[in-house]
Amino acid sequence: MKLQSELSGLGRFALSLLACLGAAVAATSTDIQSRVHEYDLKNGLHVIVYVDSSTPVVTTSVWYKVGSYDEPTGSTGLSHMLEHMSYKRTDVYGPGDFQRLVNSAGGNMNGFTTKYYTGYFEDFASDRYELAMKLEAARMGTCVFPDSEFESEHGVVSEERRIHDNFPATQFREQFEATALLASPQRNPTIGWSDDVRSFTVRAVRDWYKERYNPANAALVVAGDVRPEDVRAKAEKYFGKLRGRPVERRDFYNSEPEQKGERRLTVTGRTSLPSMAFAYRVPGIRDSAWYAGVVAASILGDGETSWLFRKLVIELGLATGVSVYASVERDPGLFEISVTPKAESLIPRIEQVVQAEVERAGKELASEREMQSVRNKVLADVTFARDYTFGMAYWLATSYILFGDWRQVIEYPEHVGRVTAEQVRDYCGTYLKPDNRTTGILLPMKEEK
Amino acid sequence: MRSTSAATFCLLTSLFCFVASAFGLPIYRDSLPNGLVVLTYEDHHLPAVSMTLVCRSGGACDPKGLGGAAAMMADLLTRGTATMSGDSVKSVVEFLGARFAGVVEDDYSGVELKALSKDLGTALDLLSDAVLNPAFDSQQIELQRDRMLARVRRYSDIPLVEVQVEFMKLAYGDHPYGHMTEGDTASLPRIGRENLVEFYRTYFRPNNCFLVAAGDLDHDDLAAAVQKRLSAWTPAPVPVLTAAPLTAPERIRARVITRSDLNQTYVEFGHPGISATDPDLLPVRLMSYILGGTAMSSRLGVDVRVKGGLAYDVRCYFERERLPSMFKATVQTAQPKEAITLMLRDIETMHDSGVTKRELLDAQNYYTGSFPLGYASLDGKLGQLRTMELYGYGMDWLVKFPDKVRAVTLDEVNKAARDRLNPGRYWMVVIGPVTKEDLGLTDVDWVE
Repeated sequence: MKLQSELSGLGRFALSLLACLGAAVAATSTDIQSRVHEYDLKNGLHVIVYVDSSTPVVTTSVWYKVGSYDEPTGSTGLSHMLEHMSYKRTDVYGPGDFQRLVNSAGGNMNGFTTKYYTGYFEDFASDRYELAMKLEAARMGTCVFPDSEFESEHGVVSEERRIHDNFPATQFREQFEATALLASPQRNPTIGWSDDVRSFTVRAVRDWYKERYNPANAALVVAGDVRPEDVRAKAEKYFGKLRGRPVERRDFYNSEPEQKGERRLTVTGRTSLPSMAFAYRVPGIRDSAWYAGVVAASILGDGETSWLFRKLVIELGLATGVSVYASVERDPGLFEISVTPKAESLIPRIEQVVQAEVERAGKELASEREMQSVRNKVLADVTFARDYTFGMAYWLATSYILFGDWRQVIEYPEHVGRVTAEQVRDYCGTYLKPDNRTTGILLPMKEEK
Repeated sequence: MRSTSAATFCLLTSLFCFVASAFGLPIYRDSLPNGLVVLTYEDHHLPAVSMTLVCRSGGACDPKGLGGAAAMMADLLTRGTATMSGDSVKSVVEFLGARFAGVVEDDYSGVELKALSKDLGTALDLLSDAVLNPAFDSQQIELQRDRMLARVRRYSDIPLVEVQVEFMKLAYGDHPYGHMTEGDTASLPRIGRENLVEFYRTYFRPNNCFLVAAGDLDHDDLAAAVQKRLSAWTPAPVPVLTAAPLTAPERIRARVITRSDLNQTYVEFGHPGISATDPDLLPVRLMSYILGGTAMSSRLGVDVRVKGGLAYDVRCYFERERLPSMFKATVQTAQPKEAITLMLRDIETMHDSGVTKRELLDAQNYYTGSFPLGYASLDGKLGQLRTMELYGYGMDWLVKFPDKVRAVTLDEVNKAARDRLNPGRYWMVVIGPVTKEDLGLTDVDWVE
């Protein structure tokens, strides 16, 4: 059969793929570069435009360099609260207007807050994205936060917090991160700790807005079927009149104390299934070793051919799922392994197996096929991500905010492609050690008899 | 091999039954001699292809008591064939950076494959081998059963999902849509290999399937490649899914599940709705959008969230499925009495008074303006083509949809509100730190 002959020739196929890959990355890089236009307005607003006229759709997005990372103790979640309040009232718009205007013009919109940034976007057919510029400029420069409109939105955010409270996996996640990290603001949940959320005041929201929301602390990213000169004219028209003030962002790169041994956490919750998580302290994205972590995470836990999936799920039947992730943090962050055990009784055995596999990763080299598989996945993922104008805007914006340059979009596959099996082995051998680890277990709450 | 003249269906001999392009859009449709339809959207802006082999029978066709059979069958198609182990399949897929997985909804099941276009030949080999020669290997079945069991157990941790499951139990009875397509902890252990094989043999027939693909492909080449690989796939009569229509209770029929460990109450209520092919589909959807289609600008959104500050999310919608399904409204709130009161009031007002011209115009503008957003990406195109073919909307659907939306009149929408909303005749499930006395509801049949 044709399939069989092709598969038996997989080795040849892999070799030819290797030869193609470098050319494919280069072609993608050149193509993206030719589509990007980047400049600053006089007020400091950074503008990135990505031209893709394949469909008549445009994503207009504004990204503020503010998130839970920046919040002072006792005010966690304030950026998220501000995100909600920013939909309420500006100089000309009132509650509900943003969504009503966007939807009635055939658009979709949303906003979101993360540790490092707050983003807002509108998707429109390409003949009407000017409305997004108008709305986002109003949000950036003219939000007002009347006392009378705070209470209801505070209620909305409190309800959102309650959704988190009632999901055991989220509760576990929050407590796990706060155990793995002691001092870095990365340890705080973006939505804020419950008591902080209860304590928000409208005055604090106003102050946070004055301090952080202005053109010099933001990026406008437009992706889709646009003419760059048209975007520039609209950006000048709507955002150019706003005053920019540079915002000093405190850097917590060295905030975490040295880990002096393994930390352990057990959380009980109304869950029918236990969960396990292992987090190792590792370099963040400002360290070139981070790319070895990305490759290590893929080899250990991405897909059913990965080391941990094969061992825990297929060979030993101890777990039903595994995922591994090298977090994208500017500061030293976490390399995380999550496991869904088949049963609570298997937890000790799973711990042993995970440790044995990561130790093996610190001694043995991944095969060339495994390394090539990672490169292929990255190339495919990069290609798939370009399919959405919002995806492209998101990618460009987060590259700019986190890595300091949108070009990370094209450099990422190149960096990953240059990682060697030896670097992956050394990364695992250096960082994936028990005394550099936090182990967390979520257990079903025992029913009272 | 394809027609390029708009709105023309050409009868061809031998290889294909008919071919069409769709009104200026690069959409093409063929029917192979064995009945398999090949439907494509050519889009060369990226070197990638996304495709799904859709079987027109899904979770609604799960045998009684074996909820999850269609889902498990679909996943098993990607886990090994007569000549290739499940591990080998996964190895090839992951090496290519491709995605290959089973999919299931009430109305369909199938396998989806996304790959770089340079790997299209290998992808088609994998897909066709999966469709023609699935192994249903016992070890792979157990592996997938464990994963599905873990997933449904995890769902039960989430009150947002729990309230949906309980609503299903209360409202649907034995209706084909009355169970989770993923199955549950009772049904999944009962599914045997013979059930999967039976489902596959009964429903996975070329005359009951279509291949939908979008991306960097040439329709004629793809259709020929599919014909070459799947010509041995034999058609057979397929049972038609039928069900007695759902009947609304005479008054509210509600169940309260008191959970003192929660700090928020989860509410879902609804009554029988319409089918995906109902002639009133567009007026109903426009009305439903105005009533509860968005969290911040719909009537429910404004009253419950924006003004009331009672919930993060509140919405209502008419499900779109082959059989008449359900109208549902949901909210999560620490103040259920207030939120439910507002929601019931808004629905009743909609029923009695309908919508304003301005509301209808805004809704029409949203539907027509946002329609292109829905098929901007390859996955979006795939989804639109799948819906179009699954419910027989016709090749002109994408082109004519905006005009059809604009043609809906105020009278039609208000008639839809009067005819299709049924205030006071709801099933309702409430889960939270409350008792039935806390809800302030009257004229209710309480279910313990």
